[in-house]
Amino acid sequence: MQLWLSLLLYLAAAVFLIGLGWRLLNWLRTPVPLKIPLTPGPADRRGVLWRLGGELFAFRALWRADRSLWTPAWIFHVALVLLLIGHFGGLETPRFACATLGGMQAAFCRVACDVGLPFAGGLTGMSMAQFGHFEDISGGLVGAVAIAALLWLLLRRLLAERVRSISTFSDYFALLLLLLIIVTGNDMRFMGGLNIEQARQFVAGWLALHPTPAPADPVFTMHILLVCALLIYIPFSKLVHIGGAALFSPTLNQRNNPRQRRYTGPWDKTNASATA
Amino acid sequence: MQAPPLKPNAAAGAHHHRANPTLLAALGLPTEVPADWRARALTKFDELLHTRRSLKLYLDTCVRCGACTDKCPFFLGTGDPNNMPVARAELLRKVYRRHFTAAGKLFGPLAAGEELTDAVREQWFTYFYQCTECRRCAVFCPFGVDTAEITMAAREIMASIGLATKYVSEVVDKAHTIGNNIGIPEAAWRDTCRFLEEELKEQTGADIKLPVNQAGAEVLLVPPSADLFTNTDTMMAYGKFFHALGVSWTTSSYASEAGNFGMFLNYEHLKKVNRRIVDAARQLGVRRLVMGECGHAWRAAQAFTDTLNGPLDFLEKPRPEHILEYAVRVIRQGRLKLDKSANDGLAVTYHDPCNLARAGGIIEEPREILRLIARGFREMPADTIREKTFCCGAGAGLLTDEIMETRFAGVKPRIEAFCASGATHLAVPCAICKAQFPVAFEHYRIDAQVVGVMDLLAKAIVL
Repeated sequence: MQLWLSLLLYLAAAVFLIGLGWRLLNWLRTPVPLKIPLTPGPADRRGVLWRLGGELFAFRALWRADRSLWTPAWIFHVALVLLLIGHFGGLETPRFACATLGGMQAAFCRVACDVGLPFAGGLTGMSMAQFGHFEDISGGLVGAVAIAALLWLLLRRLLAERVRSISTFSDYFALLLLLLIIVTGNDMRFMGGLNIEQARQFVAGWLALHPTPAPADPVFTMHILLVCALLIYIPFSKLVHIGGAALFSPTLNQRNNPRQRRYTGPWDKTNASATA
Repeated sequence: MQAPPLKPNAAAGAHHHRANPTLLAALGLPTEVPADWRARALTKFDELLHTRRSLKLYLDTCVRCGACTDKCPFFLGTGDPNNMPVARAELLRKVYRRHFTAAGKLFGPLAAGEELTDAVREQWFTYFYQCTECRRCAVFCPFGVDTAEITMAAREIMASIGLATKYVSEVVDKAHTIGNNIGIPEAAWRDTCRFLEEELKEQTGADIKLPVNQAGAEVLLVPPSADLFTNTDTMMAYGKFFHALGVSWTTSSYASEAGNFGMFLNYEHLKKVNRRIVDAARQLGVRRLVMGECGHAWRAAQAFTDTLNGPLDFLEKPRPEHILEYAVRVIRQGRLKLDKSANDGLAVTYHDPCNLARAGGIIEEPREILRLIARGFREMPADTIREKTFCCGAGAGLLTDEIMETRFAGVKPRIEAFCASGATHLAVPCAICKAQFPVAFEHYRIDAQVVGVMDLLAKAIVL
């Protein structure tokens, strides 16, 4: 396999970053003419941070609304974050990056290896080999949990009458895409066949803008192609919510203080004249 | 309340009367739906997308997780799938996708986009007038998607092409021309106040005044005009309250309405109706502005006044206060003598008006008062009160006879919760709720009374 997979992945990542950034910027730039926080709500910044944190990390509103939805939703999102950490911050990745790279990037990687790895190893009391093993098993386990959560969400969409009635093609498409990505990932982990060191070099090289050939494994290729599809799909679909929709939401991020501090904006010229 | 099975189109036949051309003209709206309505509606839609982040964000980010599907009282009451908050928003969102997003423009139906057709327009008129902008769904949404924002935007788009309801338009017009929603002219306002003063004299033996347009008073009290029409006990209660405190106060015949139906039509009228209160307060030279017992009035007053028509720095306390906030403060200061036995024998529960709870933060004040003045106070089930309160089913311009079935359906979850409380009296500080509940109680054959919180407080005040 040559470099085209890496290049495609760069392209998809660019679409993702630019697309998502553009969407977020658009939200940020659209004015909020009135105070519309949900009450009771915090009047100070610290309170707002707690409110947003609660939504972002604990899905508090969802907890209030429906525990049988909160459970698979929260588990899936946590698993996804863990998988991402495993892929990019995985303890093995920097070491391979060191071996592959030169110059400044290598120096950076060496810091990660020489300082980061022993530190993490010391913390858990595991040797490097044990670490690799731990990484493999925990990654596969988290993948399996994510698959279970996604299946739960998919079944709920198919079987619960009200949710089925509001579901669109894109709702199923997003679930299936994620399912396939994680299933192919775990397939490589558990079914063997993949040169894991080559895969790690591929990820490390790609991250360091120094692409190396992809492993010649059809499942690996499929995994990466699906990831590309997901990256491109996110900015143009409901998955754009990974940009942190709650953070931008005036019902949640506004301080509930319209009577402590006059709220104005330049978008309404007649308001400005009322001020004068 | 248990969610019902889906009954497609169960509420599709509930239609508001449309405003007539004369009325529309008076409000500066197109007198009939123009031939190029589609283009005009999309232009307005585009404008709102660029001026309201709530609209754009909430159309973009919904993931159709379904958390809201069993939260709307109108869905619970009717079973119509379009009354699930997510589905209601999809009525607007499908057009947004088709006309304003890359995916919808490219893939159309595959991206769940839909053309703005006559049929879609009819759906809008039907279902965005079956939403009371009560915000209950928003409390349960992981992104804080607020259907009230979606409904307001949809109504604003419809208004821009001459589609508005008779009821809302009439009320807004009366607020602009007469000063209140019911249409009580100044002479009748004064007459009623005089009549109620006599009534108060009979009840209490005291000379209690209900002043009108009294310049230089300490407090301008802005009641919902219904307090001078059907809820006269509440009007008399304000009088007894201020009399007992020895505070000078007045109503204004120019701004004789707390409510703001402009909020249910469009931004321009929201602002214009709100303006009257600020002008009246400035003109009368009062030091405080106090809002009477009304739900959405409080939202408009506390959250929007300073932004739309402020600053209120001519007031000693430069912001609107709620009568119940005011009452709690003076009670804590020990300025009222209360005898709670006056309300003995009443099994009272409290209904949180949606706008007081979810858009105004008045939640504990009425409870503090009720605990002090009514031994028989009890709560309804926990998932139906405070910020999870159920709407009365008549807010945001739905308090009109032609959609009575919808109103009965919308109030059903609240009625069930009321029955669970075992109360005989429903205390509620909102004029819309006060008009809706008696009709609902009769419909559901429930023997119960509706009272204002101030009514009960006034009964307990010892002069």
